Amino acid sequence: MDINVRKRSQAQVIQLRGPLRMGAAVDSLRQTFEESLANGDNRLVLNLAEVAMIDSSGIGLLVRFLASTRQRGGNIKLVQPSKFAVQTLRLVGVLNLFEIFDDDDAAAESFA
Amino acid sequence: MPGEFRDGPENAALSERFDLSVSATSDAIATVGDAISETLLQLEVPEQKRLEIALAVQEALANAVVHGCGNDPSKQVRCRLKSDPQGRIVIIVTDPGPGFRPDLVADPQQRENQYADHGRGVYLIRQLMDEVHFEHSGREIMMWKY
Repeated sequence: MDINVRKRSQAQVIQLRGPLRMGAAVDSLRQTFEESLANGDNRLVLNLAEVAMIDSSGIGLLVRFLASTRQRGGNIKLVQPSKFAVQTLRLVGVLNLFEIFDDDDAAAESFA
Repeated sequence: MPGEFRDGPENAALSERFDLSVSATSDAIATVGDAISETLLQLEVPEQKRLEIALAVQEALANAVVHGCGNDPSKQVRCRLKSDPQGRIVIIVTDPGPGFRPDLVADPQQRENQYADHGRGVYLIRQLMDEVHFEHSGREIMMWKY
């Protein structure tokens, strides 16, 4: 999985490319989240436009760090999750935990 | 007829398309998952169905590696895919572990489980596939997509 992190004034934008599944992908994103929180960046925008699949390991990671960022006054906001990713999040009952946006700018500005 | 198909993976109408045993590692199962997706593409399975099968297989393989093999790379996980002339697919994932009680799996839809970082795999498999059976005390999962 490719992970590209960009710092914006209102939030940190994390762009993913590839399936978010157990193993290297989930480990890399966990490390990215941990580094963000360690640096005090708890307002995160996660661009999922190029993530065709999220498995239960990936979902577990997202909800765990969603809770962590919220405890610090932040949040994780999702951008352009695929139809199948939305379906998967809904199936396991966590879709309603996330705010979803059409683009990075709108998600970042929602933190202002 | 699903009833005929339910007879099991040894059903004569089923053709074996895929049979691979790999080390119990996350990298190895990612490779199996990609190979399954490629096989489904060759079988001209529609995209939505391909995604649902691929995710169910990923969950079954992950359970086999983590729970069946205890993340021990010296152990092996086996994955088979068969199809019939009607395009129905059966996938069988087998591990050498102690098995488990699928009826004791928690419901991730319960509010108290919403923020849990695990415990969604078997639930997802049951939602994504048309028929799911656990055999050999849970060491083998058979998943059908019609």
